[in-house]
Amino acid sequence: MNVAVKYGVRFLLLVALQALVLNQLELGFGIQFMVYPLLIVLLPFEIGTISLMVIAFLMGILIDAFSNTYGLHASSAVVIAYFRPLIFNTFAPRDGYDPLKEGNSYDMGFRWFLSTFGLMLLIHHFWFFLLEIFRFDELLFVLQKTLLSLPLSFLLCLIIQAMIVSKPKER
Amino acid sequence: MRNLFAFFRRFRVFLVFILMQIFALTTYFSFLQYPRAQYLTTASAVAGKTLAIRNDLTKHFNLGRSNSALQWENKWLREQLPQSFQRLQYGLVKINDTLFKQQYEYIPGTVINSTVTKRNNYFTLNIGKAQGIKRGMGVFSDKGVVGIIHNVSDHFAVVKSVLTEEINIDVMIEPIGLFGLLKWNGENHRKGTISGISNDMHIKKWSKVFTRGGSGIFPRGIMVGKIEKLRPVEGKPLWDVVIRFSENYASLQRVYVIKNLMQEEQTELESNIPPDVEE
Repeated sequence: MNVAVKYGVRFLLLVALQALVLNQLELGFGIQFMVYPLLIVLLPFEIGTISLMVIAFLMGILIDAFSNTYGLHASSAVVIAYFRPLIFNTFAPRDGYDPLKEGNSYDMGFRWFLSTFGLMLLIHHFWFFLLEIFRFDELLFVLQKTLLSLPLSFLLCLIIQAMIVSKPKER
Repeated sequence: MRNLFAFFRRFRVFLVFILMQIFALTTYFSFLQYPRAQYLTTASAVAGKTLAIRNDLTKHFNLGRSNSALQWENKWLREQLPQSFQRLQYGLVKINDTLFKQQYEYIPGTVINSTVTKRNNYFTLNIGKAQGIKRGMGVFSDKGVVGIIHNVSDHFAVVKSVLTEEINIDVMIEPIGLFGLLKWNGENHRKGTISGISNDMHIKKWSKVFTRGGSGIFPRGIMVGKIEKLRPVEGKPLWDVVIRFSENYASLQRVYVIKNLMQEEQTELESNIPPDVEE
């Protein structure tokens, strides 16, 4: 399948899922599911940081337009796009990244996926809730929202990844 | 000059990052204060249409509950109709009522998008300028107060709900008639607080809270909730009053927007009050 079509479909799918379904779920305790960071980790390894940030920005602003958050999702998506090369370099395999593979848990192994994507989600959630609340006397509430949403978002992303990424056949 | 270009080339990723952040965050913080454009909100045509379609799909989920709520309200309204009253006195006919003049009109609407878990929660309605909605009008449902219109486009409107930080609706506590301001602390969408209640007053638990109708946005006496808890504020002669909202905003569907026909008259009169002169 053409790479642009593949990522275009994923882009639209994740934006629609986030904007139309997940932003409406109210679980209480400040829990909020976020799945769109998944696209940013799945984009090819050789993509430039600027184009990565442009894609993240477009995605965020689209989600914002549907949920009255006016730039909050865009800002957090750009933050993780900016930090992605840094995080990827830290957890790089010994002989570098294979350009034929992509950053999912099948190609790179679950441990790699847990550390990179977990760190990206942590930065994303903390930045998002910090800006959303934006008061230092409610910092505890920010931490509560971040730490409760983080594992749930991660699990949901794993499930979605299993649905949209095809498992490589055993050779 | 060459050094400048070299600098830009070297830090271009960081500069693009900063530019995007500045754009995103200025829109975020300026929209919170005052809405200027509509293309980034749910009041825009594309997002509004999409959300309306989604609401068409999901509105049936709590059809039963909203139907029984509407039926209850219909029953109450039917009881006010002339045919529900038995005539006790014949011979007197009243023509052209000069004792009462219509002050408030209500425009019905449906909530097509809402959140309750964010720090500031906004609701989108399927009515807009075409139906006569303006910024600053009050919104309520059959069970309680909902919020104030924040942003309007041709066919959609965004409501700044009671579940936002700076909502400050004038409320009063019945039966003693104490006035305070309604606030929300961002934790539980069923509970709000009232500030400015001095602790020398004796307040009963579960006494009802209504809108005061001071600024002409809401008529007097729209239900807000009931008092659940009273806590003394440390170091101040004030009560921290926790109320339980009468409306569950998580399942809010049908609302009414309030049009005050005498708003201009009140604003004009109040603008004549001389400002306080500082010593």
